[in-house]
Amino acid sequence: MEVSFNDVKYTYPGGVEALKGITFNVPTGQSLAIVGQNGAGKTTLVRHLNGIFQPTSGTVTVGDWTTAGHTIAELSARVGYVFQNPDEQLFARKVFDDVAFGPRNLKFDEEAVASAVTEALEETGLTKEAQSHPHHLSLSERKRVALAAVLAMKTPVVVLDEPTTGQDHNGVRMIASIVKKLREANRTVIAITHDMDFCAENFERVIVMAQGEVLADSSPENVFNLPEVLAKARVEAPQLERLASSLGWKSHPMNVDAFVDNLEAKSR
Amino acid sequence: MIKLSDVSYAYPDTDHYTLTNVDLDVPQGEVVGIVGASGAGKTTLAKIISGFIPHVDGGALSGRIEVDGINLPESTLAIAVSHVGLVIQSPFNQISGAKFTVREELAFGLENQGVEREEMATRVGEVAKLLGIETLLDRSPYALSGGQQQLVAIASMIIMRTPVLVMDEPTSQLDPGGTRMVFDVMSKLRDSGITLVVFEHKVELLREHASTVHVIADHQIVASGPARKVLSDPRLEKWAIGTTRYTRAAALAEEKSLLPKSTELPVSLEDSIDVFKGFKNLKKG
Amino acid sequence: MPTSLFDNRKSVIHRLNPVTKLVALLAIIVIVFAIPVWWVSAIVLVVVIVPAAVISGSGGRLLSLSLKILIPILLVLFIVQGLTFPGGETILWRWGVLKLTTEGLLFALGVGSRIIVLILASILLVLTTHPGQLMSALSEHGMSPKFAYIISSTLQLIPAFSDRANSILLAQQARGLSLKGSPFRRIKVMLPLLSPLVLGMFTDVEERSTAMEARAFGSPAKRTSLIPVPDTTLQRVLRWVFVALALGAIATPILMGIL
Repeated sequence: MEVSFNDVKYTYPGGVEALKGITFNVPTGQSLAIVGQNGAGKTTLVRHLNGIFQPTSGTVTVGDWTTAGHTIAELSARVGYVFQNPDEQLFARKVFDDVAFGPRNLKFDEEAVASAVTEALEETGLTKEAQSHPHHLSLSERKRVALAAVLAMKTPVVVLDEPTTGQDHNGVRMIASIVKKLREANRTVIAITHDMDFCAENFERVIVMAQGEVLADSSPENVFNLPEVLAKARVEAPQLERLASSLGWKSHPMNVDAFVDNLEAKSR
Repeated sequence: MIKLSDVSYAYPDTDHYTLTNVDLDVPQGEVVGIVGASGAGKTTLAKIISGFIPHVDGGALSGRIEVDGINLPESTLAIAVSHVGLVIQSPFNQISGAKFTVREELAFGLENQGVEREEMATRVGEVAKLLGIETLLDRSPYALSGGQQQLVAIASMIIMRTPVLVMDEPTSQLDPGGTRMVFDVMSKLRDSGITLVVFEHKVELLREHASTVHVIADHQIVASGPARKVLSDPRLEKWAIGTTRYTRAAALAEEKSLLPKSTELPVSLEDSIDVFKGFKNLKKG
Repeated sequence: MPTSLFDNRKSVIHRLNPVTKLVALLAIIVIVFAIPVWWVSAIVLVVVIVPAAVISGSGGRLLSLSLKILIPILLVLFIVQGLTFPGGETILWRWGVLKLTTEGLLFALGVGSRIIVLILASILLVLTTHPGQLMSALSEHGMSPKFAYIISSTLQLIPAFSDRANSILLAQQARGLSLKGSPFRRIKVMLPLLSPLVLGMFTDVEERSTAMEARAFGSPAKRTSLIPVPDTTLQRVLRWVFVALALGAIATPILMGIL
């Protein structure tokens, strides 16, 4: 499902201008990463997608809906949103019930609920914890429960707010493979992240934000080759891009294989 | 400065040991990193080094724990906290809740110690400058973002000037800029003679700032040594900590005989520029 | 997000020692309740509360806040007491069993004037006194730091937790929870959401107490305070005057009884 922002401005009730006219369009099945320092307006922006925020001016559309005409509950059938802090999201006494909450609200029949929950728990590596109390799990596990809870809703658009923070290496790998699966299923994925290596390796498009504005919007290769933009947004390029540019390369390897391919080309 | 020998620990009401036979030796005036997958026992070890285990959590603790010349288990919590400071994982809970401005929040610990007003004001000013939070001083600690709260939480412990500072994932809510600044602050504190033990998994930054790194896996310390040596160990993948892209790229290059076999793979940008210097802009790529 | 009603200004009233204001408030309450005639409340209102409100500059907020509380209370009071006061003989107006009596109105006036004083004076204290300063001042006057901590942290954490409750609610709506329907239905769907909050609160309290110990909360040292609490000899005298007036007010009816 396609989503778009059309000259979206948002001013907080206190008068702080968080978004200063944002326009972009994400086609069906695209994976988009939004980067920028804390306070750049990233979370405010994506919270417009499911109606938690309504624009002060401009419009946000999700498929053929304008968010202004729909409640958060209605939009939840189209946009799944994983909160950054799982403790703001989880509430049930059992992991299974928490993950089942969304599908049940969306009126899946019990059989469909069970299969959606089982699948989501498997994808997030939590099958063993189905009967555990969410509060007895570690932060990284709770974050994955929150992710599973949204995956189980099978929404055409999935929004992830800093999915990799608090995850160890295995957790990050698991999330990378979930992003890949969502893309293969032609679902639209929008993620906020501070992990530029994760971003470079798993997303086809990157938006750089600073002070409520979009500074750059392109492929990771292009975006991470804009030193002035990155400096202004206080964003660091991914590790291998930094290395390639320190070595004076003109190419922009976004992952280990691409980097080593370059080495091979150069040693020939 | 910190010496643990043969330390094992099980939380109350369980016979499952969270840590077994841990030996740890941290010299004075160093930044030491401890890495481990989530659930490996990092928070438990942080609490042992700072005396909260056994003084608060109880449970079955054995072995010898000496910090700044104090035998922690046989001492009291009040004495322990005057030697070791602990920055806990959740900034929301590190904040006292009793103070209405960041300024007073930072002074909370000093007020408890009965420090003179003038000195408190000086130290609040210094620590706020160190962490770049001067503009937040008159705001309520609860009106801050998670990242800002984390900086206040760290500052609230640095101000105590304990000879040893233990930090449990101090950069979890910070953006890359904030994270880098906190690591720079750690190095500055080390230069002033403070001993820091930091539980983190940002491998690249640990390589740049820590002298020694220990790895916890399966409830034990499984590797210890100089930062570059430990952090380039391919077993880090198996221990769910993961190596940097630099390390992985160099490993793959060695495998394809593009680089000669080395004893220590690169971990940071600086390490890699040296390793890959032969590939400097050879021809148009 | 404001964590208290404190109206941040720099007036003389704001800068008074919080203990002075607290003593004045308590003395005023004692006086108007000890001498139950409406004109004592009127004098207190005109001589103390109105001038203080004007000087503080917070008079506007005081009026808007207290009217919200007072109007319903006073309406109910005058209607109920005016119409149904048992000893009412001077009937002004009658409708069935209901009769509006002078005695009833006077009684309502007596009670109402005291409530007005109580509400206005309390809100004025809250508006002009930073809660943190109040706690520091009380600690300086010998209140236990643990007790001060419990009060201030409750004041601070209530808004923090209501924020969290709010975001949990938003998160469930983002997972398809519909809040449409009767108020009864809304409460029914919202109740289960509170359990994690309460549970989380307990874990938080436990962890926070660890953090407090790490910041020397258990230290035997004599505590100091970063922000000095202003105090003057004049204020010390003023406090004793208020105490004397309150004692006088208590003594008045007793003395009058003896005489």
